Amino acid sequence: MIKYTLRRLLQAIPTFLGITVFSYLLMTAAPGGPVGALTQAPNISPQQRQRIALQLGVNDPWIVQYLRWLAGDDWMRWDTDGDGKADQSIFIPVGFDANNDGDYDDATEGDLHFPPGDNKGILRGDFGRSFFYNRPVASLIGERVAATLELGLSSLLFGLVIGVPIGIIAAVRKGGWFDNVTRIIAVCFSAIPIFWLGLILILIFGSQLGLLPMGGRCPPTLTGGCPPIWGRLEYMILPTFVLATGAIAVYSRYMRASMLDVKSQDYMRTAQSKGLSGREVWFKHGARNALIPLATFLGPAITGLLSGAVITETIFSWPGLGRFAVGGVTSQDYPVVMAVVIIGAISTICGYVLSDILYAVIDPRIRFD
Amino acid sequence: MKNFRRLLLAASGLAIAALAVAPTLAQDDGLIIIEGNFGGDPATFNPILASDTASRRITGFLFPGFINANAETANFSEFDPPLASGGIVDSWTIDESGTVYTFTLREGLTWSDGDPIDSADVIYTWNALQAGVEGIVDTPLSFVIDPTGATGILDVTAPDASTVVVTFASPECTSLGNVGVLYPAPSHVLPEDLALLNDAEFNLAPTVSGGAFTFSALNPGEQVALLANDDYFDAATPGDVAPAGFIYRVVPDQTVLFEQFLAGETNVIDSPAVSRLAELRALAEAGEKQLFTFPGNAWDYFALNFADPTNPQNGLDADGNLIDQGAHPIFGDIAVRQAIALGTDVDAAIDAAVFGEGERMNSFIIPASWAYNQDLPLIEYNPDAAAALLDEAGWVDADGDGIREKDGVPLSFTLYTNEGNGRRTQTGTLIQDQLSQIGVQVNFSTIDFNTLLDIIDSQTFDSVILGWRNGWPDDPDATQLFTAQSDVVGSGSNFTSWSNAEFNELNTQAKTLAGCDTAERAQLYYQMAEIFQNELPYVPLFAINGAYAAGADIAGFGPYPSLLYWNVDSWSQATP
Repeated sequence: MIKYTLRRLLQAIPTFLGITVFSYLLMTAAPGGPVGALTQAPNISPQQRQRIALQLGVNDPWIVQYLRWLAGDDWMRWDTDGDGKADQSIFIPVGFDANNDGDYDDATEGDLHFPPGDNKGILRGDFGRSFFYNRPVASLIGERVAATLELGLSSLLFGLVIGVPIGIIAAVRKGGWFDNVTRIIAVCFSAIPIFWLGLILILIFGSQLGLLPMGGRCPPTLTGGCPPIWGRLEYMILPTFVLATGAIAVYSRYMRASMLDVKSQDYMRTAQSKGLSGREVWFKHGARNALIPLATFLGPAITGLLSGAVITETIFSWPGLGRFAVGGVTSQDYPVVMAVVIIGAISTICGYVLSDILYAVIDPRIRFD
Repeated sequence: MKNFRRLLLAASGLAIAALAVAPTLAQDDGLIIIEGNFGGDPATFNPILASDTASRRITGFLFPGFINANAETANFSEFDPPLASGGIVDSWTIDESGTVYTFTLREGLTWSDGDPIDSADVIYTWNALQAGVEGIVDTPLSFVIDPTGATGILDVTAPDASTVVVTFASPECTSLGNVGVLYPAPSHVLPEDLALLNDAEFNLAPTVSGGAFTFSALNPGEQVALLANDDYFDAATPGDVAPAGFIYRVVPDQTVLFEQFLAGETNVIDSPAVSRLAELRALAEAGEKQLFTFPGNAWDYFALNFADPTNPQNGLDADGNLIDQGAHPIFGDIAVRQAIALGTDVDAAIDAAVFGEGERMNSFIIPASWAYNQDLPLIEYNPDAAAALLDEAGWVDADGDGIREKDGVPLSFTLYTNEGNGRRTQTGTLIQDQLSQIGVQVNFSTIDFNTLLDIIDSQTFDSVILGWRNGWPDDPDATQLFTAQSDVVGSGSNFTSWSNAEFNELNTQAKTLAGCDTAERAQLYYQMAEIFQNELPYVPLFAINGAYAAGADIAGFGPYPSLLYWNVDSWSQATP
């Protein structure tokens, strides 16, 4: 299995590179740019805007920008005389040539030499610096990933714990009231827009009843920090439930269908004819086999854990990656957008590999070549 | 099945236990101010690097300013507590050339660690700003430095610990506004090598403060907590900052933000949605909340492109001479511009778009400004006069299709605004409807904000509805918005390409008036406003009212326009 996993991961490298090229091209082709968002003030002069655009490198051809993101700019612009200012460069300008006369040294014209490049590029593990936060993107993501995982995992578990048993019982009691009621609920859960459900729950349980907080991940304290999950369960209930509604609907219906498929299998009849109790037949023999197709859902679900839940995080003021990513896209913070793309791509690839592994874990008959 | 029941039972128990833990906030040691803000996550707590509103909110609590401004007059002032305090400058003198300002700093000010606040802290900031121009420090404040030396600040020196001398390139009345960027920074704890400043630990965990609060903790993306700084030198009660602390909560959804405030989860709200102001007013009248509204410094405009949008050009050539940019086929005719202004019912737009919470403008100067001319009449909605004006100018509907035309050119143009802004969408829809009644076809559409910025920067548009937010204290200098030097395709703010010699001359006079007397400058701006109203590069719309609200349990809440927290050190828990 290790060999298989490694092979799958190696095969994913060209896919990964293709995704980054395509994403970068799309991002830079989009109208507007980060300079507009960063300099929307009436006291900024045209020359200052031009200088900021050059410093950020957003005026370079997209392929140069991509190359800088991929392989860094420390080899593109460097300092040979040790004065801390760049004097040599390839692909990108040494500095700001105020009147485009090819001379970067006339200070009276406003010419400037930029500092040498210090970005190492994604191939050397450097995600770059956020244009807006002016900090390394890796640390910004590190600060938010735990919140996203926490919400994603809890909603995934909640969805499985509620959805799978509902699906099993609905299959066992096919056509009964439980089956019908859960079918209606599943349709409602799938159809209700998350932002609406979130706001309604906030209004009922937060605003009207005052039972639950209306957002945030941790209670407001002057000392900061965040207590362990069991010390702030009240903050998790609503966002977890809202995020899990779709999963409950999908898992319950899928599990029901899968159980009904399994029902007609020979081993089920054998188990029944051996005199096993109904509970043993359904849960021990039926449910375990019915879970196998569900494993295909878990790969994408795990991808969803990392890519975040944009709407839920926004409604519930949850400080996760989803909200952060949307902010990056809105302000066209290229390094942030690309970091999120990478995380999405890697987690998708890993999610599908994990799906395959889960298949083998659940069904010992499946082996990898 | 038994296991499943157990699981359900456990889940129910967990939920009930959670419900029992009601959200609480200990307030044993005094008032804790909790502001919910949808403005986003602060990026830094270093005053030199802060550029976004959220960061500025926090650095305003942690660090003193340079120069003082009077809360009542909204003008720069010598140190005059309590209304003009919080800055380290005591007074200043200006030399005969009007370019050299000598600032005397207040004596005895200290950082929270006891180190004195002196001119070295200002020089540190100045050095960082210079490094910012070269791209070494990522500061937004370097805009005060023009690398050519033609404008802005040329040099800052410190002859002694309590004196700062600032030399400007030219005598300008905006100098005091520019000098405001010299925030004193605690140089004794910041890196000497400015190349290290961008990544200094101090930026996210400042160990030293000089404001009403000290930094306590940051939960990224969620909240910032500050503690009272009892050593704050401008505290109303020396040695005592009344509130125990301040918590800034990031709440990205406006509805949730408001509901949290109503429920008491937060107790201060800055700029609540105008659609909920009536509700807040009712609560304020009932004594359940406190509310303060004022003419705001954010304003919306309806801009008309003067130049030929098919051939956008800069306003000036390399030698500084005006370039003939051609005329817009429709807006090149002043009668059309004036008819559009007369045919636009701004009062109706204020009612529909901001629920009446706006103040009409008669020019580019906001009503809250000292330069606003109350006597300059507003352009009253008069569709008959608008139609007559168009008839007279030869724009008539000859073919009876409801759209006027002249020389084969239909009176039809595109109007853009940014998608997702309900206020501007509402205004645009109204304008489209109102102008159709006088035979003007408006093709109104909302587009992505960044796309719109691209279009206006490229000067290929007909008209747009957008807005500006002025600073505080506000200076109405129009150099960047309405002069030919800022009409630069791709990056200039004068994207309408309007240029008027008399207006420019008055702007220069107002900017360089000897002595910078506000009343004298105001007279010049009055004349500029009249020219603007006649020429109409923007059809003036409205300034959106600002609003602050606080819980009834806060004593001392008494904001001034654009100054919510000017006296925050004396806020306390109200006794029932």
